[in-house]
Amino acid sequence: MTRGGILVSSAVAVAVIVAGAYVVASSDANAQAKKKEAPLETKDDASTRPWKRYAGWPTRDYSKYNTLGNLATAPAPKTPRKLAGPITGDAANGAKLVADRARGGSCLACHAMGPAGGAALPGNVGPDLSEIGNAGREDEWLFNMVFDARVYNPETVMPPWGTHGFFNEQEINDMVAFLKTLKSPAPFKTVLDDPGKRPVPVEKRENLDPIENPGMWAVDKAQELWKQAGAAGKSCKSCHSNAKAAFKTWAASMPKWEPRLNKVLAVEEFVARHAKATTGANWLMETDENRAMSVYLHFLANGTPIKLDTASPAAKAALERGKVLSERKLGQLNMACTDCHGKAANHWIRGQWMGEPKGQYDHFPTWRTSLLAIWDIRQRFQWCQVNIRADELPPDAKEYGDLEFYLASQNEGLKLSVPGIRH
Amino acid sequence: MAEKPRLKLPKEAKKGEVIEIKTLMPHTMESGQRKDKDGKTIPRKIINKFTAEFNGKPVFSANLDPAIAANPYMQFYAKVDASGTFKFTWTDDDGTVITAEEKITVG
Repeated sequence: MTRGGILVSSAVAVAVIVAGAYVVASSDANAQAKKKEAPLETKDDASTRPWKRYAGWPTRDYSKYNTLGNLATAPAPKTPRKLAGPITGDAANGAKLVADRARGGSCLACHAMGPAGGAALPGNVGPDLSEIGNAGREDEWLFNMVFDARVYNPETVMPPWGTHGFFNEQEINDMVAFLKTLKSPAPFKTVLDDPGKRPVPVEKRENLDPIENPGMWAVDKAQELWKQAGAAGKSCKSCHSNAKAAFKTWAASMPKWEPRLNKVLAVEEFVARHAKATTGANWLMETDENRAMSVYLHFLANGTPIKLDTASPAAKAALERGKVLSERKLGQLNMACTDCHGKAANHWIRGQWMGEPKGQYDHFPTWRTSLLAIWDIRQRFQWCQVNIRADELPPDAKEYGDLEFYLASQNEGLKLSVPGIRH
Repeated sequence: MAEKPRLKLPKEAKKGEVIEIKTLMPHTMESGQRKDKDGKTIPRKIINKFTAEFNGKPVFSANLDPAIAANPYMQFYAKVDASGTFKFTWTDDDGTVITAEEKITVG
């Protein structure tokens, strides 16, 4: 990365950095931190209350199901449903239902299914069902696998389509009738159709080039905010005159356990609380200002390997809670973080490649080219939940702190490269 | 906050060298085809013209149309024979003209 190249059009930003070079190391915030803890606003919330879901996101109500903050899902049935007799269903309707994305994502998202999956970018998290009709399975087994596969395998990643109300019994009968017609391999037309051959996506764009990554514009914006006086009459610059030196590694050591808040504190929540306590700026989480500052503070630590302070018993307990939360089944689709990014990692869900936890953190906040927006990791968590039909929590929820701490711990050693750029 | 245009070109070049110039103008490029929540057409507002000059002489220009995506990005080449200044202009539908300049030393 060449700083001069990036800031070539920005005389103001260049001036800040040049001026900073003459400031002696006494302004180093890390050195100060050893003497005195950074002031934090500890009473108010760090994001808006009541929390309102982002405009344009699905508005369905998922309150009957588990969230990261609340257990609500009804217990799983213990035994398979008994059928009165052989299933009579409409296979043609079943073929439509397995591809219906409005009903929880469609079967094809995870399973290739013969002709139904031939050109619909099927996934491969679950087995290829293209020849299930030859497998000699009984109707009752097929029905229960769709209705609620937990009766056969409590650890399954298959959503309980019947128990959680995505499909009624007759609809599942129709799908079973369709499954029984599947007797020949899926006719993939191209390599891209076949999840076994589809090439794994590689992100090659220059994420630190402001011509390629509009996320970089936040760096300029943050440098302007840095000099802007808040309600208390001070700016960031009043205490941190040499941001480049002071924050060279800081973001790579976050999140951390914060005893004053009794929770894990990450960069975005720190920005909201520290700004309020010092300059008086109201940069709540998920505001443009907060995102810009978070991008900038991460950007300053780019190249530094992620290394967390996990020594204290409280930090260890937070990590353990984060791990447990990552395994909690959430939402109507009844999925845990570890279902997609553990059991199903390195597989396709429809056209989306499911990554392992390692590599999902070092580029956040990241630019989303599909949305023309910067997302921090908390918004990413929120979207994961709404996607699996679970209610999200406010971005400063303590559960997200634990989860982010655990995710960051799985990314230790990776070097920050922020802002990232992703679809 | 109005975004600044982004420029990328070498600071130095040899006499007669063909250099690559990249420009990017942060702009929504509202096409005039979209409708808002109440069904009313969102008025067109795009960058409709881009020009590049070197020492006052035109080197590149383009008329932009509504199908061009947000944040129009131009990449083009110019031969430089002497030191001087590139001047870029973007003309908005509302009449605003945004300019940016960059110097290059030819040695």
